[in-house]
Amino acid sequence: MSSGAKLPTTEANVLKGHEGGVLAARFNSDGNYCLSCGKDGTIRLWNPHRGIHIKTYKSHGRQVRDVHVTPDNSKLTSCGGDRQVFYWDVATGHVIRKFAGHHSEVNAVKFNHYASVVVSAGYDRSLRVWDCRSHSTQPIQIMDTFSDSVMSLCLTKTEIIAGSVDGTVRTFDIRIGREISDDLGQPVNCITLSNDGNCVLASCLDSTLRLMDRSTGELLQEYKGHTCKSFKMDCCLTNTDAHVVGGSEDGSIFFWDLVDASVVSSFRAHSSVVTSVSYHPKDNCMITASVDGTIRVWKS
Amino acid sequence: MDVDEDDFVFYGTPIEREDDTSTTRKKKAVAEASGHLRTLVPWKQEVRDEEGRRRFHGAFSGGFSAGYYNTVGSKEGWTPQTFTSSRKNRAEIKKQSILNFLDEDEKADLDGDSLGTSSQFDTFGSTAAELARKQAEKEQQQRPSAIPGPAPDEIVLPASDSIGVSLLLKMGWRRGRSIKDSRPGSLYDVRREARKAFMALSSEDVQAPISGSELVKGDPEMVSELPTSSDDQLFDKTPVYVLKPKQDMHGLGFDPFKDAPEFRERKRSRMSEIKEAGQGKSFSTKNSLFGFKSERIAPGFGIGALEELDAEDEDVYASGYDFGNSYVQEIGDATRLSLEDNKKKGKKEHGVLHGFKVASVTDYQTERFNPPVIPKDFVPIHVFSAPLEDTYKLADSPPPEVSPPGDKDLKVLIEGVATLVARCGKLFEDLSREKNQSNPLFSFLNGGDGHQYYLRKLWEENQKRNDHSKQPFAGKLYPTEQKMTAESRGKILGEKPLEKSSSNISSPASSVATVNLQVNLSDTFTKPVSFAEPQEVAKPFRDDPPKQTRFEQYLKEKYRGGLRSKESGGSSYMSEADRARERLEFEAAAVAIEKGKWGNEITPSQQLVNLSGTTGLQFTSAGTEQAGVTKAEEELITKKLYPRREEFQWRPASLLCKRFDLIDPYVGKPPLAPRTRSKMDSLIFMPDLLNADKPEEDARVAPSQSENEYNNKEAALRGDEVEVEVENVERPVDLYKAIFSDDSDDENEDSGLHKVEHQPKNAEAANTTLSRLIAGDFLESLGKELGLEVPPERSQSEHNFKGKEVTNISTKDTNSSILSVDRKLFMPSSASADGSKTEVRKDNLYPLEVSHDDASREAIGNSTQGSGSQKRGIGLFENVFVKSRVDVSQERKESTFTGQQDQSSASSDDERGRRGSKSRRRKSRYSEGETTDSSDGYEDRHRSRSRGRKNDSSREKSSSRKHSKHHKHKSRRSPSSSRHRSKKHHSESKREKRK
Repeated sequence: MSSGAKLPTTEANVLKGHEGGVLAARFNSDGNYCLSCGKDGTIRLWNPHRGIHIKTYKSHGRQVRDVHVTPDNSKLTSCGGDRQVFYWDVATGHVIRKFAGHHSEVNAVKFNHYASVVVSAGYDRSLRVWDCRSHSTQPIQIMDTFSDSVMSLCLTKTEIIAGSVDGTVRTFDIRIGREISDDLGQPVNCITLSNDGNCVLASCLDSTLRLMDRSTGELLQEYKGHTCKSFKMDCCLTNTDAHVVGGSEDGSIFFWDLVDASVVSSFRAHSSVVTSVSYHPKDNCMITASVDGTIRVWKS
Repeated sequence: MDVDEDDFVFYGTPIEREDDTSTTRKKKAVAEASGHLRTLVPWKQEVRDEEGRRRFHGAFSGGFSAGYYNTVGSKEGWTPQTFTSSRKNRAEIKKQSILNFLDEDEKADLDGDSLGTSSQFDTFGSTAAELARKQAEKEQQQRPSAIPGPAPDEIVLPASDSIGVSLLLKMGWRRGRSIKDSRPGSLYDVRREARKAFMALSSEDVQAPISGSELVKGDPEMVSELPTSSDDQLFDKTPVYVLKPKQDMHGLGFDPFKDAPEFRERKRSRMSEIKEAGQGKSFSTKNSLFGFKSERIAPGFGIGALEELDAEDEDVYASGYDFGNSYVQEIGDATRLSLEDNKKKGKKEHGVLHGFKVASVTDYQTERFNPPVIPKDFVPIHVFSAPLEDTYKLADSPPPEVSPPGDKDLKVLIEGVATLVARCGKLFEDLSREKNQSNPLFSFLNGGDGHQYYLRKLWEENQKRNDHSKQPFAGKLYPTEQKMTAESRGKILGEKPLEKSSSNISSPASSVATVNLQVNLSDTFTKPVSFAEPQEVAKPFRDDPPKQTRFEQYLKEKYRGGLRSKESGGSSYMSEADRARERLEFEAAAVAIEKGKWGNEITPSQQLVNLSGTTGLQFTSAGTEQAGVTKAEEELITKKLYPRREEFQWRPASLLCKRFDLIDPYVGKPPLAPRTRSKMDSLIFMPDLLNADKPEEDARVAPSQSENEYNNKEAALRGDEVEVEVENVERPVDLYKAIFSDDSDDENEDSGLHKVEHQPKNAEAANTTLSRLIAGDFLESLGKELGLEVPPERSQSEHNFKGKEVTNISTKDTNSSILSVDRKLFMPSSASADGSKTEVRKDNLYPLEVSHDDASREAIGNSTQGSGSQKRGIGLFENVFVKSRVDVSQERKESTFTGQQDQSSASSDDERGRRGSKSRRRKSRYSEGETTDSSDGYEDRHRSRSRGRKNDSSREKSSSRKHSKHHKHKSRRSPSSSRHRSKKHHSESKREKRK
């Protein structure tokens, strides 16, 4: 658990099952399971530690770009090429509701802390907040101040943070009623919150990860070495916030030291673009997903 | 009555009487049969036969046809058979089947259900033979023939041969023989001889037994006959299944690939591959039908049948990384080897049919031609007859460096001309020499003063041009003829050129120089004051001199003020969109320069690149500029710039707060002013707000705008009275708005409407314009706000009336321009063509104008050059019209009251007033009808603009609600009165017509 712990660089399991590329792989909140979604329009639930495929959720008509599960593991939300946000029941595998309203593909989706709301980020330059509690089909709110496709979003208990191709990371603070826009100058591909919640790691399309202080909007560090020029690729921080993890378009995984931005480790994990990396909330475990159709589980 | 009848107008063709002819009856029957009456309820439909007669009727109706047609179908009717049975002739006990009791059609129906062998699945041809035989029997029975009885099977055989087989047979081919075997006599003999010789040499040949037998027979005739006859017998009887053995597990005769023959092909190839290689080789689908049409679609799965294949379905990841091949590395050489092997095999077997050998000697020789001989002195570069640069051989030794002539003007002139000549070619030099023969200034062209310097400069320019042309940018955007810059043009014309510009142009675009220059500029341009001197203007568009010129012009106008010449908007070859874009670019550049961060801040091109990302516009010319900036510097710039933090007010929805378990920070507070959407918006709107009185630059807007300006001026001259007129001129704008405004916006603006008037005083000019812009209907309420003197007691319509009257008078001032204004004033009425005929005729003169004017308004809106005041006015109108729409019902009630008031007004002005009122009515109608329809689409297209508007109008929402209320009242009233009046007028005109 300490920062001195070994990095997860050995392959523990390979999860195969998706036809075509896997676009996202996410641990659930306790890290026991993981969800993946891909170009074949399915969402798959796995036990990454034992390498077991548990369930497949099929209802999407097109590729699924993002998936998120509630902290209590009871509901799923997913989004993708069919312009709708799907709200699933995990156990039965039925779609409870579909939130339609995005004019174009939906890039990212997240539950809020209470799982009462789904926030989706779309190619139509908007963030939409959907209500899971009521039966309204209209979004609670639309944030359309972005000027290009919104690629990724994060939620805290009081804020909605989203990164867009227009180069901005916008923080919508619900408590204060402010929108803070941090222009990074480069298309933002993916944003992740540090585990202490003080920093935002943004993956930009100039093959740079940028760490930004959230309170001041200061650029703390830049991480380079990987290739990220044309695809939506995830990045994340280790659960100790000691390292920054990012995939590369050549299939490699990079570990950077958080503070001095040096590449601590890099290895070739996949044969194709690494679309997603997700770090276990507690253990030294990481899952990576790639366009080559596999999800690999890495442990130290 | 007769007169009345004459007035009847008949449309269409009269309906025929039904009882005319039997043909009609038949027709009707056919129509009914074809399902025309299907739509009727079942109990109303009638069954009729093909003759159109009713076949089903009650027992006592129907007459003769009832029995005949309905029951037995013979003239004699139904006759019972007598039962006779005797000892000799016993009555047979017939086994009755249901067929005995069925009609013909019913039998046919029944046949459809009965099971039978389909000839499609007739593998052995037996069923076909059977059928043919049956058919033959039938025919035999029908026509009497010489041979009694059915023809024996041997005689009648089904023609089951394919056309190809029968053709071959006709050509002399026999079954069981390969096609090549058909032998033309002489050749055959020759071959036989050869074969004999061959046989003598090698007796172990495979063909030995056959040929041996042939030899034994000796007789060539026999030899030729022998296989034929035997084969014939053999193969005639051989069924298909022997030739094509059944190897699959499908049912007999079942062809799984019947409807998809491509799959058969695929299967076959796969089978053969398996046979060949043993190990599975990946079947290349690349070129076959099964390869996806777009190779970028991810393999393995598709999308739903109802979905369309979009760009989003493209497999973006496949572009760079073909993951099918990505494993090659791991597998290594083995794959490659086997692949090569496969290739070899394929090569071997491709050209050759099974059972054939490749001939070692072929008769056929491909004719080969040698390539043409290239002359030794040929140069593979095309040389143009009228060369641009080649007159000055670049390899030429440079003319000696000469110090510039003492006269500074001359020096600049020479430089300019040199640049120009370098650009336009020698022709230009000749031309200018000819032209300026008498001009002493241009004596350097003819070898006079400064000729050496000119030559040197020219050489330099040429040198430079060459460098330039290597860049993709040079000469691509515009034709070369138009490369003549304003500077050089000015030089030709003898104007005093800008000092720095020419040298800048001539400086090569080396990065070092650029950096230096930028640093210099940053030193120089820390204050916007320096813009007063156009000579020192920065050169953001160095690479594009004409553009730079335009930029300078722009700056000059921006900081100096004053009227803008129309030509300044850009050269003639630029499109409207280009011009608008360029203007934005200029603005961005100006802002950047103004900030004084030119050296270390963003270059306009970069900024615009950002913008282009947001708007989808392409700034092609600007983008090239980045090439000049070194990468390191760029990084430095971006590092200094980013991240940039901005904060905005944002109001979370109350429900959102609830769901996040937070207290709404804006609880109980009025809604926030929406802010501008993007940088683009701020770029668009900011400068206009700042320079509200700035005349429009955009050439597209220019005509109408200048007209308006002109009118405004005149209005100012005429004073109060003409104000009304001008405001009427402006009407189409609000009409346009009223059409396309959307409801929700209006609701918001309703409350925030009057606060606009409390805008800071810096917009006083705008306010005065505003007062001119606003329609007469609202002058009163506005006048109160602005402190204008308006008689308070006058009713709205009356006031309006007065305005019209004034206009009327002013029209008589024989000022043609005013006349045109007057026409425009009544433009909308032309659209409301439901008025009396006389009026319509008059107004019909101007419908073209209407459309044109509307279009120009649109242009104003689109180019977003509308001044702030205009926008405010627009907001007002929008609101009012929506209001009037909402309160239509109330209007009607009120109309009687106001109408009476109107009656008292002077009758001479009646017509004018009516027209005006009609126009207004039309507007309100518009807002009624079309807003709902078009608002959606409009919103999308013009979102940015409406946002800007909103921003304006709702800035101060919280104050003075009573004003708006008052305002509402007024607005409600005016259309009502007009409505009433127009109604009245309408009826009047009707009455007139009757008379």
